[in-house]
Amino acid sequence: MQQDSSNAGKNPSVFSRRGFLKGAGAAVAATGVLGAAALPTDARSSEPTTVKADEVVPLRFTLNGKSVEVKVRTGYTLLETLRDHLDTTGPKLACDYGACGACTVLLDGTAVNACLVLAVECAGRKVESVEGLEQGGKLHPIQEAFMAEDAMQCGFCTSGMLMSCKALLDRNAHPSHNETADALAGNICRCGTYFNIYKAVDRVAKSGGK
Amino acid sequence: MKNFDWITPATPEAAVQAAAQAGRAFLGGGTDLLPLMKSGLREPTGVVQLKGLTGMERLELTADGITIGASITLAALCTDTLVQRSLPAVFDAARHAATPLVRNRATVGGNLCQRPRCWYFRHPDYACSKKGGDTCYAIEGENKFHAIFDNTTCNIVHPSNLGPAFWAHDAVVVVLGPKGERRIPVAEFWVRPEEDMRTEVALEPGELITSVSCKPLSGRSGSAFEEVNEKQSYDWGLVACAARLTLDGDKASDVRIVIGAVAPVPLRREAAEAVLNGKVPNEAAAWAAADAAIAGATPLRDNAYKVTMLRACVKNAILTAAARARKS
Repeated sequence: MQQDSSNAGKNPSVFSRRGFLKGAGAAVAATGVLGAAALPTDARSSEPTTVKADEVVPLRFTLNGKSVEVKVRTGYTLLETLRDHLDTTGPKLACDYGACGACTVLLDGTAVNACLVLAVECAGRKVESVEGLEQGGKLHPIQEAFMAEDAMQCGFCTSGMLMSCKALLDRNAHPSHNETADALAGNICRCGTYFNIYKAVDRVAKSGGK
Repeated sequence: MKNFDWITPATPEAAVQAAAQAGRAFLGGGTDLLPLMKSGLREPTGVVQLKGLTGMERLELTADGITIGASITLAALCTDTLVQRSLPAVFDAARHAATPLVRNRATVGGNLCQRPRCWYFRHPDYACSKKGGDTCYAIEGENKFHAIFDNTTCNIVHPSNLGPAFWAHDAVVVVLGPKGERRIPVAEFWVRPEEDMRTEVALEPGELITSVSCKPLSGRSGSAFEEVNEKQSYDWGLVACAARLTLDGDKASDVRIVIGAVAPVPLRREAAEAVLNGKVPNEAAAWAAADAAIAGATPLRDNAYKVTMLRACVKNAILTAAARARKS
């Protein structure tokens, strides 16, 4: 997977400008990357950090366990940044209004609609997409369970469904049927595979997450 | 979306200062602001991030009651045991809203300030009266989801779930602005289309909701929020009702009945409260109060069903609140 956009980090000028860093403190100014350092609240200046509307700024965050840097504009959503600039196309663009859940990713462990998150909000934070579920060539238990239970048809909702299932199982290893249905209420499957998805979650719960 | 200046203040005061410039918008969870920007209904020149601002993520019992920071998410609200125990109507309302993914981002302040879901308002090609035009297209158009009360000027229904629930708990909305802090009783927080077509809430330009303080249940009391939706997920209520009551012996007292999703702003139904006050809150009394709550409805061509549905919704909210009061 490509981790950087084609020219991020290669143009030294993006590191020398100070416009968007004004007042953000020396730790960030030294590197010039939005999200390069997590500043404790009390170290933040009272003068707000500002990125100008016409700026393209380097943004750093953790994507599926790896630090990535990408140049963004303020109007980019997290979803378009992942798909169009980081070659991470697991999260799908469907409704773009938070209604369908096809773009579900985890932001600091919480399931969110990537279409309703601004890229600049993710500076220094952790983003997980379906691409990060597989570890060292081994599928995540929920992916195995989806295959075993035939929990997909066209597959367009699947990457978002998997992330909502993972968020659920991470906080509740043994969800009831109702808890699973509640947790997946923001993910729509027009093929109607819900029942097999619930069975897949049950399968992971019964196997103790293995 | 168009690009905008991105401002990340550290304190509510700095956020208010940053928003003093015309054309700037506050970003809480972004679940309403981003859709408005995507459809061109808002084009802020600057966006002020509220995440992490001092004091805006607290949820605690104070001398004021239960103080809920405006940046608390709906997900946090509907998993908090203090809220469940002391503000059950608020707990129910947060739990019903939108989807789990949206609740993970949507905030209390944003829920109160979200714009109406009227499809004419949301459609970029309709210059309706709320957007500076001179026509409410819902009056003669498709009005299945529109208002059944106070609907001669503009037919929106206020989309906030928390609004009626906060009102049932006598909430005060705490607001910070360029001139300092204001405390607005929730009854005075809503703005009708006849008062000002451009907004639904009594915030001055640049003012920020920092918290909401609610009166917790005390003694033998209960509250509940009921809502009927067309579908379970990502939907706004067709009708909604928040009810609170205290049991004095076996009789109801200090009753609050607030209805939502049926008028341009939430409505407190004092006539319905008067019917229930002093009575045993059983099914017959709940129906009688519900009859008073729906009195004066003026449904449109496609939404008369809402009157019948609201009647049942009010009855259910009262009975749930009463059952909780008996158990307390």
